[in-house]
Amino acid sequence: MISFMPNEDEISFVDVAKSFAIEHLRPRSRLIEETGEVPDDMAGKLQELGFTTLELLESFDGLELPLVSQVQVLEALSFGDLAAVQGLPGFNETASFIRANPENPLFVSLKDKRPTGSLLVNPFHHSLTIQTNRNGYRLNGVSIPVKMGEVSTLLIIAGVDENREDVLLLLEKETHQWKSVIGDRRLGLLASKCARLQFDQLEVPEDCVLARGEAARQVTRDALARIRILEAAKEVGTMAAALAYATEYTAGRKAFGQEIAKFQGVSFTAAQMAIQTQGARNLVWHAAKKLDDQEPDAIQASLSALHFAHRAVRFVTDSAVQLLGGHGYVQDHPVEKWMRDAQAQVNLWESETELLVKSGEYLLLGKEGNG
Amino acid sequence: MISYELEPQQQQVKEIVHWFAENEMRPISMLADKLANVPDDWLRKVNNIGISMSTSTLGEGSKSEGQKKERQGNRLAVIATEELAWGDAAIALTLPGPGLGGPPIQHSGTPEQKQRFLSIFSRDEEPRWGAYALTEPEAGSDVSGIQTTAVKTKGGYILNGQKIFITNGKRASWVVAFATINKELGRAGHRAFVVEKGTPGFSCSRVAHKMGLRASETAELVFEDCFVPDENLLGGEEYYESKGSGPSGFRVAMKTFDTTRPIIAAMATGIARGAYEYTIDLIKKEYPLHGRQFQMAAETLASIQQSIEAARLLTWESAWKADLGLPNAKEAAMCKAFAGKMALESTSKCLELLGPIGLENHIVEKMYRDAKIFDIFEGTNQIQQLIVARHLYEPFGIRV
Repeated sequence: MISFMPNEDEISFVDVAKSFAIEHLRPRSRLIEETGEVPDDMAGKLQELGFTTLELLESFDGLELPLVSQVQVLEALSFGDLAAVQGLPGFNETASFIRANPENPLFVSLKDKRPTGSLLVNPFHHSLTIQTNRNGYRLNGVSIPVKMGEVSTLLIIAGVDENREDVLLLLEKETHQWKSVIGDRRLGLLASKCARLQFDQLEVPEDCVLARGEAARQVTRDALARIRILEAAKEVGTMAAALAYATEYTAGRKAFGQEIAKFQGVSFTAAQMAIQTQGARNLVWHAAKKLDDQEPDAIQASLSALHFAHRAVRFVTDSAVQLLGGHGYVQDHPVEKWMRDAQAQVNLWESETELLVKSGEYLLLGKEGNG
Repeated sequence: MISYELEPQQQQVKEIVHWFAENEMRPISMLADKLANVPDDWLRKVNNIGISMSTSTLGEGSKSEGQKKERQGNRLAVIATEELAWGDAAIALTLPGPGLGGPPIQHSGTPEQKQRFLSIFSRDEEPRWGAYALTEPEAGSDVSGIQTTAVKTKGGYILNGQKIFITNGKRASWVVAFATINKELGRAGHRAFVVEKGTPGFSCSRVAHKMGLRASETAELVFEDCFVPDENLLGGEEYYESKGSGPSGFRVAMKTFDTTRPIIAAMATGIARGAYEYTIDLIKKEYPLHGRQFQMAAETLASIQQSIEAARLLTWESAWKADLGLPNAKEAAMCKAFAGKMALESTSKCLELLGPIGLENHIVEKMYRDAKIFDIFEGTNQIQQLIVARHLYEPFGIRV
């Protein structure tokens, strides 16, 4: 039966997440941006509450929640501050790869570890090469910036070798040294510790290969679908925050003798923000449910959900700044930060065009094209 | 629990209605558009097999704990309506039944009125229609400004005024018509009457020619000293007396929108899906499966598909709330605003993919013409935004 009603556990969990977001994350979001990191006490509390292990398998001491539950919790947390959510320690995106391929012996060996994970999706044409050699692979060059790259101790690389064969590698910093190249970042998500990863002829032995060829492609496809949905949910949280803030502001701000909300140029913009936010939320929940139920079109749904969320979060956060006018542009209000964070978020997680083209390939060919 | 799975009954209805849309509606779609009419023999045939635009299951659901089964009339209606509009929206609007006049009678009529007006629709008799007459030449979006008057007289009311853009208004056996008993009372003076065909002083002055939905009859109605008996005042005198100055015919009209807007949104979604499915089939056959042209088509189709999905989910959410008896005015406005705009954009993009050949004898150009009205009727896009905004600002005590 069609229902949009969360279950009782989800309602309780979201309640805790929303309270934490409002009481702790939001008030400290500027400080988090200035220092470029989530304070230890806050990260510790979030870990204690289980918010950093929503996706992680129970056998790894995670909560192993279904996606449809996770997306609600992540939206609630991101309502406080997206950048803080993106700057938390834990397995992060690597948890989705573990979830997509739980029997892999390389993952099993990570059970008792508490790493900070990063994911590098490295298609053939980037400045990092993956060359086959007798013992496995050799990595050389500098990657694109990856989230938590500055501090990560666990790295999954979904790449392509010189023969255009897909390969999935698992590296741990304690055994495979790479350097973090920290750039001069100013746009947004400054607490997410994005950094390029530099590999100097790094030898990666066979026992670090998670999968190759079609197997690698399949695990990556499944994991990326999960990640897309989780990232889209965070974007919905930012939209909800921007909508709520702009609505309250325009209800109180007066111009030409009345609250500016009474001008339709303002109120209609707020209405469009609300429609886009709800549209994105529904697509995220729907895609999450499809993936939980392993429906055949779940990957295509994940592409749609993230594309819609990308477009909507840019529109909603930009509109919030616009509705606050000059006050929105200065840093006395959080909306300018949310707009920067939103654009940075969109940059990190697949381009909008790429998402649409891939989605279209599923619709037309029933599979992803060869690029 | 969050779920998007159709119940067996919903799935069955969806499949049956889709079969009907594909095998009975589509074959006459282009002809009906050309004739600007749905053939009478076809209407008689579908009425005999029991297909109708049934809206009698719409309305408020119940939250009472004593109920064994959750109501699903609104969800069932939007699922079925999307399939009908996939077939042909104009023909769907012309299917026999109470149409948009059903919901106000269902949720505001007396038991006697429900029996009298909703029981006339039978597969064993000639097809019949109901209609809903609110819009006037000088009162479209501003419903509160209606000018049609209802003057109390012995045993009833005398109606004078004009209504425009009334779907099935000429062929309808009865019309739910809104009028004011006192313009100075504003909305509180509004009343809804069920005016029956053949009532002296009630006539159809014109059937409009339109850009799209040509097979659907859009009538102009005139009331000239038209006597309507007390028993045709929707809800009866007591309905208005017992509720003091608050509720009125205006409230009846607004309540109707909460259940009919999701239906209209579902229709818009059905049109867009019809165009999308037609186009993707054609592209699979005629486009190269690689290269720039393929990429452009893939991108465009994906964009259409996700918009359709978003519209459907907004619509389902609104219908789900209605079934549960939860307030859904904001959600009804959201789905209508999104779906109405989406349908036009989607059909336009489909036309773009088809190129000049799309202009000739392809159903997509008809769907494009049909789609435009879904951004206008049952409240324009702007009105929907106004309603959404009102709900957003209500907690702050601001009336926008």
